Order: sequence, then C-alpha cells, then structure tokens
Amino acid sequence: MSNYPEILILDGAMGTELQAAGLPLGGVPEVWNLEHPDTVTAIHRRYIEAGSQVVYANTFGANRLKMAKTGHSVQELIGAAVANAREAVAQAGNPEAKVALDIGPIGRLLSPLGDLSFEEAYDIFAEEVRAGQNADMIVIETMSDLYEAKAAVLAAKENADVPVFLTMSFEANGRTFTGTDIDAMALTFSDMGIDGVGVNCSLGPAELLPMVKRLYTATKLPIVVKPNAGLPDPATNTYNVSPEEFGAIMRQMLPYGVRVVGGCCGTSPEYIRELTRVVREWEAERGQVSEDDKEFWPEDYEELTKLRDTRPTGIASANRAVWFSEPRCIGERINPTGKKRFKEALQNGDMDYILGQAISQVEAGAEILDVNVGLPGIDETEMMVRVIRELQAVVDVPLQIDSNKPEVLEAALRIYNGKPLVNSVNGEEKSLASILPLVKKYGAAVVGLTLDEAGIGPTAEERFAVAEKIVSRAEAVGIRRENLQIDCLTLTASAEQAAVAETLKAVAMVHDKLHTGAVLGVSNVSFGLPNRDLVNATFLTMALQNGLTLPIMNPNSEAMMGALRAYRLLMNIDKNSLAYMEAYKNYVPPTAAPAGNAAAGGTAGAAQATGSAAAAPAGDTMHREIAEKLGDGAASLYNAVVRGLTAQGAEITKNLLGSMDSMDIVNGVLIPALDTVGAGFETGRLFLPQLILSASVVQGAFSEIKEHMRASGAETVSKGTIVLATVKGDIHDIGKNIVKVLLENYGFTVVDLGRDVEIQAVVEAAKKTGTPLVGLSALMTTTLPSMRDTIAALREAGLSCKVVVGGAVLTPEYAAEIGADYYGRDAKATVDIAREVFGV
Amino acid sequence: MVELKPIRMEEAARYLGYGGQMPDETILSLMHECEEPLREACRPAYSVGIFDMECGGEAEVRLAECALTLTGKDIVKHLTGCTKVALMAATLGSGVDTLLRRLQRTEMAKALLTDAMAGAAIEQICDDVQSELQGKMPLYRQTWRFSPGYGDLPLALQEDLLSAVEAGKRIGLATTQGHMLTPMKSVTAIIGLQDMTKELRKVTAEDGDAISAPVGACAAGACAGCAYHESCLSRQDKSENETIDAETSDGGNA
Repeated sequence: MSNYPEILILDGAMGTELQAAGLPLGGVPEVWNLEHPDTVTAIHRRYIEAGSQVVYANTFGANRLKMAKTGHSVQELIGAAVANAREAVAQAGNPEAKVALDIGPIGRLLSPLGDLSFEEAYDIFAEEVRAGQNADMIVIETMSDLYEAKAAVLAAKENADVPVFLTMSFEANGRTFTGTDIDAMALTFSDMGIDGVGVNCSLGPAELLPMVKRLYTATKLPIVVKPNAGLPDPATNTYNVSPEEFGAIMRQMLPYGVRVVGGCCGTSPEYIRELTRVVREWEAERGQVSEDDKEFWPEDYEELTKLRDTRPTGIASANRAVWFSEPRCIGERINPTGKKRFKEALQNGDMDYILGQAISQVEAGAEILDVNVGLPGIDETEMMVRVIRELQAVVDVPLQIDSNKPEVLEAALRIYNGKPLVNSVNGEEKSLASILPLVKKYGAAVVGLTLDEAGIGPTAEERFAVAEKIVSRAEAVGIRRENLQIDCLTLTASAEQAAVAETLKAVAMVHDKLHTGAVLGVSNVSFGLPNRDLVNATFLTMALQNGLTLPIMNPNSEAMMGALRAYRLLMNIDKNSLAYMEAYKNYVPPTAAPAGNAAAGGTAGAAQATGSAAAAPAGDTMHREIAEKLGDGAASLYNAVVRGLTAQGAEITKNLLGSMDSMDIVNGVLIPALDTVGAGFETGRLFLPQLILSASVVQGAFSEIKEHMRASGAETVSKGTIVLATVKGDIHDIGKNIVKVLLENYGFTVVDLGRDVEIQAVVEAAKKTGTPLVGLSALMTTTLPSMRDTIAALREAGLSCKVVVGGAVLTPEYAAEIGADYYGRDAKATVDIAREVFGV
Repeated sequence: MVELKPIRMEEAARYLGYGGQMPDETILSLMHECEEPLREACRPAYSVGIFDMECGGEAEVRLAECALTLTGKDIVKHLTGCTKVALMAATLGSGVDTLLRRLQRTEMAKALLTDAMAGAAIEQICDDVQSELQGKMPLYRQTWRFSPGYGDLPLALQEDLLSAVEAGKRIGLATTQGHMLTPMKSVTAIIGLQDMTKELRKVTAEDGDAISAPVGACAAGACAGCAYHESCLSRQDKSENETIDAETSDGGNA
C-alpha cells in the first residue's frame, strides 16, 4: 500500500467562473487572457489555494478556427493563458502546482460527419500544442468525436514530450454525441501511449459513476474524472449538486482506478476544496485496509476488478468495441485474391461494389472486416486510405488492415477511426523491425504469421517457435501480449492433407503456452475440394475447439456462420442461446425450403403487384408490344421495373439472360421501362420515390447483366462517361446520388467524385476521363459561388466539356449566368440532357 | 432530451414532392419500413436560451448578456412587438447522417424516403420544443421560427447562435466552413416572444394586421382576449373551445 500513488487533484470550471465574472454567453473566454488577465489569474489562484495540483490554462477553445474572428493568434492567446496560470502558481505560493495546456474540440466536425479533414484537425491541434510548449502537461478534454480525439492525441504525442490526459464527454445513454461508448474509447487509447483516460463535462458525478465503473473494466490506464456540478437548470443555467454532495459521490468513484479528479462546468473552488478533503481522507483510510476488506471496498469491486484483470483486449471502431474474449468472425471478402469482380472494382475505383461487399458481410454477422486492396498496377497506400475512409463512413464494425507493406499500414493506421487489427507481421527480421514499431505507436493489435525467412515450418513445433519469437519481439517494443493474435497458417487439405492436424496442434500450443489469441484463414483448407462449405465448417469447429479466437472466413456462408453460432451456444458463450435463437427464429428445415420459399415469394410478389398497380397504367401498350416482340419474360421484367418490384428484377433478368442478348434486354426492355416511368414522373403522375424504386430494379437487373457479360468474356458496354460532383463547401449530396443512379440505369459510366469536391479535382477528373459532360450539384445558396468557380476553372483549363448543373436553389437563369450549358431541373431531366449530349 | 413522436408521413410526403397527396401503398409501406431504423438512429436533442431584447436599430437586434447580434431588416421586422427572444438549436444527431450515408450506398429509394422522413422528424422536434417553451412561458406568444439564411439574416450568424446556446457542448451541433449545420438533420431558429400581458391592454385597430403564429403556440385560453383575435391566421375556434373546456374541468377537480 505504501507505494500507492497519490491521487492528483485538478481544478474546477473556468468557463462558468468567467461567466460569473461577466463573460457574456457566446463570448470568447480565451480573449480574457489578454483583456482581463487578472481575472483569469485570480480564478487559477483560488483553485490552487483550494487544493488543485494542476490548473488548466484558459486555452480550451484556442484553436485557429475559433480564434479567427478575435484578431489574436493562437500563439498569442495560448502564450498569455499559460503565463496567467504560471502567475497564479507564483501568487499562490505553491511551486509544486502544474500548468496544463487545455485542448477542447475544434468546433467543427470531422469528415464524414462534417467537412474538416483528419489531417486539418491534426494541424490545428499541433499548432496549439506547439504554442503551449511551456505547459507541464497536455489535457485533451470534452471530446465527443473519437476521430477528433485521435487527431489531438497524435498531435500532442508528436509535438511535445509531456504527459497527456484525454477525457471525453458522454451523454446519459453512455455514448458521446457521435456514438462512441466507453469501451471504444478505452480500447482506442489504452495503447497509444497516453498517461490517463477518462470522462469530463456533460453530466454530474452521479451520472458518471456507472461510466467510470465501466471504464475501470476496460482500461489499465489511470482514470481521469472531471464531472459537472450536476445538471444545469435550462432557465437559470445553475447546477444542482452542492460541493458536499459532489465530494460524497466522487468518493464512491475512487476505488475504481480513479487517479486524477477535478470538476467541470458549474464547479468552483469550494467544490475543489471539498473534493481535496474527501480524496485525502479516502487515501488515509485506504492505507489502513487490505485489498479484500469487504467493509471498505464496494460490493461490485471484486467482480469488476476480475473482469478488468482477466478479459483480453480487443479492437474498436468509433462506435463499436469487439473484445477478443470469445470467437469472432472476421469477414474475408474485401480482398481481390482470386476474385475477378473485386479486382475490376479496385481498378475502376468502384466504391459502391466494395462497400456493398462490406455491408452484406456485416449483415450476415461479421464482427470485424479484413481489408486487403493489394493489386499490381494500383497505388495500394492511396487505395487503402480511400477504402478505409469510405468503409468507416458506412459500417460500424472494426477493421483488420491487411497488408505486409509498412507504408500502407502506417497510412492506414493513422487515418483509422478507432483501434484496428494489423494483418500482419511475420517472423522475418525485416517484417518485425518495420511493422512492430508502427503497431506500438498507433496502439493497434496485430496478427503474427508463423513463418519466417525459412518459410512455413511443416510441424507445429516449428511454427510455435516462430510465434514465440514474434511475441518476445513485440513485448520488447512495448506491445502488450494480449494485443497479439497468432496465425498458425491453414494449408490446403487437398494438397497437404497431413498438414491440417499440424495447424490445429499449433493453435492449441499457442493457446495453452503463449496465451495469445489465434487467427486462421479458415476457407483455405478446402481449396480444390467439392462441397467446400462442409469441410470449412468442420475445420472451423475443430480449430475453435483447439483455441482459435478469430476465424477469417466468409460470413455469407451459412454453414460456417452456423458452425460458429453453434460453437458459441455449446460452449456457453452465447448466454441463454439468445444470439442463436435470434439467428434462427425463422428457420425452415432445408427439405421443406423450396415449397416454403416459393409460397412466400409468391405471396410477396402478389402483394407488391396489387399495391403498386396504380403506378403504371400508361405502360400497358408498351407492355403488350414487348410481350409480342420479345416474349413474356421480357414483358414481366418491363413490368417489374415500371411497378418498382425490387425483389423480382434481378431474378427475372437472370432467367432472361439464358435466351436473350444482354444489350437487347437493356435497349429493348429496361430503357423503355425507364422511359415509361420517366414520362409518368414528368407529367406529375408519378413521384420521385417511384422513379427511384424503378431505378433500383434496373440496378439489380444491370448487375446481373454485367455479371453475365463478365462470365462470357464480353466487354461491358458503356454509353459514355460522365463526371459528377457536389461542389466544394457543400456536404449534402443525396440529389447528386439520385442523378447518378438514374444515369447508370441508362448505361452511362459515372465517375462520382463525391461531395465537398475541390475545384481542381473536378478539372482533373474531366481531363483524365475526357468526358463530354460534367454534372455539378449544390444545395445551398452559399455554395453557388463555388459552382460558378468550378465552371470557370473547367473553362480556363480549356476543356470542351459541357456542364450541367442542378440543385434545390438553382434556377435556369442562374445556371446560365454562372456559365453552365444546361440546367438539370431534376434527375430525369438530367438524364435527357446526357442522352442529348452523347447522342444516345 | 426530447422524445420523437410518430413521424408525420404526410409531411414527409410533402418534402418528396407529393403536394397534398399521400403516396401509394408501395411507397407508404416502404416508408413504414424505414421508420424503425430511422427512430433507432435518432438521438434528438435541443438547447434553448431566452434573452431580453435590446433595441438595436433599423437593421440590428442586440440581446442582453449575449454575444450574438442579429442583423438585417427582416429579423427586425420578425421581432417587432417582442420583448424577449428564444434562440433554439435542435438536432436528430449524427446517427441519422450515418444511416442516410449507408442507405445511399445500398438502397437509394429508402435513402430518399428516410431523408424526407428525417426532415419531418426534426420539424416535429422543433414544434415540440416550442410547445414546451409555451408551457414554461404561458404569458408569451411565440413568433414562427426564423433561421439564419432567411431573408437578409446572414447564414454566417450560425456559429454565434450556436455559441449563445452552447449547442456544441450541449447537443454536439457544429457548422461547416460554409455555415451548414452538422449533423445535417438539425435546425437553428430565432423565436420572438411577445408579452401578452402588454398586448391585452392595447387592442387597437392598427394592431389588427394579420399575423401568423403556429397553431397551439399561443397561451392557453389567450385567444378570446388577444389583440389579434380577429385577424390571427392560426386562431381556431375548436382549439379555443377545447382549451376552455379543459380549464373548466380543471377548476371542477380543484
């Protein structure tokens, strides 16, 4: 007990104290460092006198964006703030007191939530850190976006050499405004080399108590807690917890790893005085008792401590933590190896396909996604960064970054929003030396492949030896053992049948003797065999029984997911079989399936047809013509498009492709059907949702057609390439996306540059593609100038392309005024313009 | 915190271009399919601040103990006759943006419908916030919601408005460089508060210009004595009667 470190006492609120001294609501507190230095210094001094061992300099919002309108530089304001705090330390006569540089949120959201890039956020924080180099430590606080917090932590670690604390702000539901929970925060930052992690602001100590307990189980770092003085009264803005109550509740938190305490909004020197008294009293009592004194330690202390000490770590996205404490499915499908369609998507930058693969795996039950984009001829670093950015904008499972190139891994680790799993390091010296330091720096987990310069050892013992080497090298650079997942390598049973048992044995050895987790690429085992699912599922079960924690597999394989679910049930991991029951609540035994499915499909189809019958009365003549000319199958596809029967389009097309030429389906059925719907839309009989529903049916049909053409080796036919962008400054891009879907429906290739697109990026894409038509979208009046500038830049670059513009606030007159060639009133009109420009 | 009531589909349909019509069965059932995921993604929150108005001038309104100054002739007109101003910021939260991003990648029709429904939802939240405010300040009549970017009120005031109600800290609302709100399904508004006790004393003909206040935003039972009784666009005899009935029965219970 004697070496138990003293709990560090922070200060209380600055903002509410300044408001009490006359700062108006919405005023800039940091300017007071220059205009009212004595007031600021006096507040610091009172905190030190009340017991604070650290005071936060008045720099919370002193970033270049928030300070732009004050006319003062970041250096000036932070310099003055730190000087004021130092002056307070001198005045209080306590030279031991420390001054912290306080870094709060930037005030703008990072992409994809907002328009600030991760790199820009890093620069802004780095500037603050450099301006605060005279501070004794750095506190990053009140963060609600994990990504922003990560930018700040990296900026602090890379630009200063002082202790760093991070505290985030959680709402009563246990999540931040952007959806991060305690576990995701703990996992992301526990291995990033900071000195304390915790919670501040938003709530009072009573509301934060359960979150502190949760955090105690999720990190071994010192915990920092700085609550508000309860909750504010919306009318009077006063807080409802007294200094005595505050101290009493804070005392209840102290057993749970809390090592740094203070107060946030609404707290004053009185709160800190009481807090100091309570903390020192608790410490004195603690010195007298043993670790298992039931009187002193709270009832749940033992249980929570056990969870904390025994649960292995995990990985996290910003919004989801995945612990390695039980078997988890890693989806293997984002990988071009052996997948022609995926290679094409990478070559064409077809993000929709890649994201579609991700979403379908998550829906099938993948808890982690492997991301491998290595392909000759593409810039792997650039592609990896792009794919990860897109993935983390739409799926919430954590990612496994799959590459053996250090430069690819570093770029990905840096911009990853959370704590990823790196796949992989191996026993080769070159790999160990270049990859382990990256894993350590970014606080990631890592897969260790049991191969080295000598290749893959044939016996379990040889692979185990490599695993041992990887573990010891990782620990030598400071990576905790629980962050390691050893891959004992699955060989193919059809080629090396005896090797399967060696792999299983190696997994068991790693599990029993090294106590790390184990990864295996499961599907490799069945390569070259019929009924691969059967072999895969059986091998998976065997490997799990031997200690496999993270199978890399195809979650869309029902047999394998079933084996994993059943294993979890049988091993009492899936408590009360809840997940299993949920997965199979609608289960129909396979023998009965065909009849059941047919019945269900028939009913659904009939219901849909009845429901939307009113949607397409004008299509009848065309329907008859198509039936006569191309047959009933074609007519029913036409019908499916016109009526928006999304479930049927792809299926009918698949059948049709057996008897009909691809281009005949496109030109003879799909486009006439779209025209029918388009005409209904133009005359006001049909509405946008119906148009888009029909477009979705065509999308389904198109993907079947493309698949068919690919399989038969035919070139996919495009009617031409169009570049689309939502202009710089505008982040609303649903309108542009609707136009894109419709253009693709008509057979155009769309190069979608996304939203908030730099002017130069539009010019470059237009140049590179040589497109005759560029489409620009803007929602707000404030971004119309950016549309004008983009058009001007296209003209200046000497490009002959036409420009079509669209968006809620545009008018034909304004479109002409800013130099556009066409005004796209709506998605349908834009397609007509494209057909005119391309002459198709 | 505030709870999201069932989403008004007719309002969402209006955003989708249906005018006064309701969508057909297919679309409507798709909309109902979209409602649950949308509700799960919603984390509605708001922040409101009440400030005394200080006279500014022809094109400026200053607020007491607040760093925000409202500029332009339109806001001056909007706040004519008001003594206080409520500043409001409300959001559905960033989960809705994420949901919409995902749907745009996979199911465009649902993305379109969900987008419109989210638009209806944030307006409902604003209506509920105004009703709650009415309950707290029954003697004040509220104007409709005026937002930065309307008329000649600069959109660039967005940041100062958010700071004045501490919207960043309290509800996680921010702006982009171009002053757009993020999360995207969010609203900021300026609501004028007219002191009814003053108005009841100045029933004059020239005050009888038609005004438009949202239905239900007036003080309970205030219609009969209101200076705008004859001309108010929102006055509904039915709701007035109901209010009176309610008061009577309350009296009976007491």
